[in-house]
Amino acid sequence: MTSMEKRLQKELQALTKDPPAGVIVNTESVSQNMSEWIVDLYGAPGSLYDGEKFQLSFKFSPRYPFDSPQVMFIGPNIPVHPHVYSNGHICLSILTDDWSPALSVTSVCLSIVSMLSSCQEKKRPPDNAIYVKTCSKNPKKTRWFYHDDTV
Amino acid sequence: MSAAASSSQGGAEGGTHPPGEEEQGESSAYYECNICLDTAKDPVVSMCGHLFCWPCLHQWLETRPNRQMCPVCKAGIGKDKVVPIYGRGCTKPQDPREKMPPRPHGQRPEPENAGGIFPGFGFGDGGFHMSFGIGAFPFGMFASTFNFNDGRPGPPPPASPQHAEEQFLSKFFIWVAVLFIFWLLIA
Repeated sequence: MTSMEKRLQKELQALTKDPPAGVIVNTESVSQNMSEWIVDLYGAPGSLYDGEKFQLSFKFSPRYPFDSPQVMFIGPNIPVHPHVYSNGHICLSILTDDWSPALSVTSVCLSIVSMLSSCQEKKRPPDNAIYVKTCSKNPKKTRWFYHDDTV
Repeated sequence: MSAAASSSQGGAEGGTHPPGEEEQGESSAYYECNICLDTAKDPVVSMCGHLFCWPCLHQWLETRPNRQMCPVCKAGIGKDKVVPIYGRGCTKPQDPREKMPPRPHGQRPEPENAGGIFPGFGFGDGGFHMSFGIGAFPFGMFASTFNFNDGRPGPPPPASPQHAEEQFLSKFFIWVAVLFIFWLLIA
């Protein structure tokens, strides 16, 4: 078992045994392919996304955890949020520049729930239309500029 | 749960119990590497108190050589800012940092353009290298023209056949250069 699989195994164990509120890993998807996870995410109570269900896709390279996972929203419900594009790409610094190997699937999920919760007004990013047309399929290939820390 | 309960019972006897199954419970989580989440192998601890396997931390420091931060708390970190940990069971205490010395950066092959016209300019950024190379290109040509006499035999005396030959050659190359520059301009 490679170090990446070993670590993912440990993360999966911890996440299924003691999941944080609103985060449910789809163990069926994981059992088929360890390097691609699907996680169900529920909007936090009291936030604009209360009761909404979202799906996150995680893709891990063999260099995980030294390399950040590829994380995006998938499925029919993509949250309307100033940092989430309508194709599911997320503008979040810990997913690229500020990634650290001490982060995990759980901490990324919690960061995203927290990002959703601090939203004051549901709207798409201002450059959504042009970005969705021109971007790569892999959000990690986008050159992100992290300028807005308020949401 | 049962493991934790038996651990607390055993603790009442003053911790004389041999390290057995009870130790595998929650207490061993304190000694897990923050990167591989396994019990730390060749453990080192940072100044900020975070525990890592040296191989794991070393790989991370190599991944981001210009942003050396603790993966857990983003404090400054580095090879000489971590402390190796030697447990009692360790038979041959050897500094884990010596087992896998980070390669000196100077010995690693540079990316393609780094040796360019001015090898002293290590700006590190690929985009900068490229634009600088193009900007400096004409100067390189003039420099070779102006330095013609450096360390070479002087020009042959006038009116000798060599002189005529060199005159012809120099005119020829000037025209080649002019044509080349013209071609560059219209291309």
